[in-house]
Amino acid sequence: MSTNNNSVIIEIKDLKKHFKEVKAVDGISLKIKKGELFSILGPNGAGKTTLARMLTTILTPTSGDAYVNGHSILTGKKEIVKKIGVCPQEITIYDVLRAEENVEFVASMHGMAHKKAKGKTKELLEDFGIAGRKDWAKNFSGGMQRRLNLAMALIFDPEILFLDEPTAGLDPQARRLVWDYIRDLKEKNITIILMTHDMVEADSLSDRVAIIDQGKIIAQGTPPELKEKYGSDNVLEVSFVEKSELDLVKMNIEKIPFIVNLSEIHRKERNTLLIAFQGGLKNLVKILQQGFIGNIDEVENMKFRQNSLEDVFLNLTGRRLRD
Amino acid sequence: MTFLENKAIQISIKNLKDKLRHWQYMFFSLLLPIMFTIMFYFMLGNEEDPTGRTNFDYGFPGMIMYATGIGTMNAAISFANEKSSGMLDRLDTMPTGRKNVFLGTLISESFFLMLQIIIIFIVGYVILGLYFEGPLELFFGFLVALLFGISAVGLGIMIASVSKNVEIANAFSLIIFMLLAFLSGSLMPFESIIVYFTPPYWAKQIFLQLTVLGHGINDSLFSSSLIGAGAETIPITLLGGLLIVITYTIAFTLLGILVFQKKTKF
Repeated sequence: MSTNNNSVIIEIKDLKKHFKEVKAVDGISLKIKKGELFSILGPNGAGKTTLARMLTTILTPTSGDAYVNGHSILTGKKEIVKKIGVCPQEITIYDVLRAEENVEFVASMHGMAHKKAKGKTKELLEDFGIAGRKDWAKNFSGGMQRRLNLAMALIFDPEILFLDEPTAGLDPQARRLVWDYIRDLKEKNITIILMTHDMVEADSLSDRVAIIDQGKIIAQGTPPELKEKYGSDNVLEVSFVEKSELDLVKMNIEKIPFIVNLSEIHRKERNTLLIAFQGGLKNLVKILQQGFIGNIDEVENMKFRQNSLEDVFLNLTGRRLRD
Repeated sequence: MTFLENKAIQISIKNLKDKLRHWQYMFFSLLLPIMFTIMFYFMLGNEEDPTGRTNFDYGFPGMIMYATGIGTMNAAISFANEKSSGMLDRLDTMPTGRKNVFLGTLISESFFLMLQIIIIFIVGYVILGLYFEGPLELFFGFLVALLFGISAVGLGIMIASVSKNVEIANAFSLIIFMLLAFLSGSLMPFESIIVYFTPPYWAKQIFLQLTVLGHGINDSLFSSSLIGAGAETIPITLLGGLLIVITYTIAFTLLGILVFQKKTKF
């Protein structure tokens, strides 16, 4: 396979990995384009890590093949490992080495000259907010260790980056820092394969997403495509004290074409209108503009639940991502 | 690429940093043998025989093999840790090559073994003033101990291959190491045919006959027969014994690498 005449950088062909009776990966075929941020989204145990381990040449498939940058994972290990950076799910750092020693060690394994590695390490650790730490990595917080784990995968500017749950266990601030860094990497035309069970992460970062369950890809596409095709409707939930206010809003919006359902719940002094609609946030604004002119002050409570990849997974499998 | 940028050298530097920064390694590898040496020195006493040698002069080569045999535990723990922490997998996703991983480990373990032997030599010969034939014999003894130490590393790699985690590797290697130390008669005399099946026996016996009983390298190597478990001579010269140690070393190292490769490639 050549990556020159088309932009496919990873091609997976009917890849399987069985551990005795367990079909961890069960016939996956995929094409990932160069420079794309492609997420493999699925619950724990769906086969994401096994797939990543095969693509990064750690595991040999039971059958099938995959081509990474034009090289078969069965025969081209030597060439593949020169181009890929891997950030594993588990934090794999040397605990009695300092941050820069860990990163420089990985640089040396990629044959980087010591001087260049030192400069790049400093830069990376500054980007990740762990520069200047002179103590051993085992003393770092979980978040810092995870950032170091990621920095180790990036030291040699890989063409393809495999990130297996890179933000697992990070606090929201650190998570956002890593996401921003991933977005920056995407700007540099690095192909990123993100294994995650976090729908928000997949939704906000990915160009395309493949949803994996029980070793099989059950859907793939861009996040909006998936939500459009398999997702649920968005729901706006508005509560009023007076039923007349609810009726007024209902009358104002009932002819809007993208509204698919209007239902009411009446409990004690609370009258709730559930507005299910299709499309994105633009349509939400239209509903608010058309339905609530003059009576927005009467609204006692308002909740909005947006159609998400969680809904996509739920509709496709009958289970939640975290089940 | 400079010598220091070589991947195997980088792995060995990393391994050495890892060892030197773990106090448990330092205790088991350096302090424990020193403690045992001093303890046995006082237990066996320093009463001289007609040739002017003390009981501990004869016992010290066994202590040296005991100290270098700890390489089994060190290697087992180090490889089991690399395996269970996921670091070995991570190295497999880099253009490192298992060849460099093994070579780097062999370099760092050999370096550490040399450090161990030098320290135990200082304790024995400089501080406690034990008897040795001459510097050449002692240097030769040093090489025999190093060779035996490398065989212990090979055994340790084998143990790591079949151990599920560091704790099991630690316990398993401790049992094997102590068993070998006793069955080979390294720590105390053991009159049994079993000794001939243990690598430390051969290394200890060559060391003893070269540095304590020897009459020059040439005579010792080519003419002298080894003294068996029951103090009788056996029809194997020191050179023959040395070949046995070399065979053990090559066999254990290769077997260790082969078993490790088989158990960690999926």
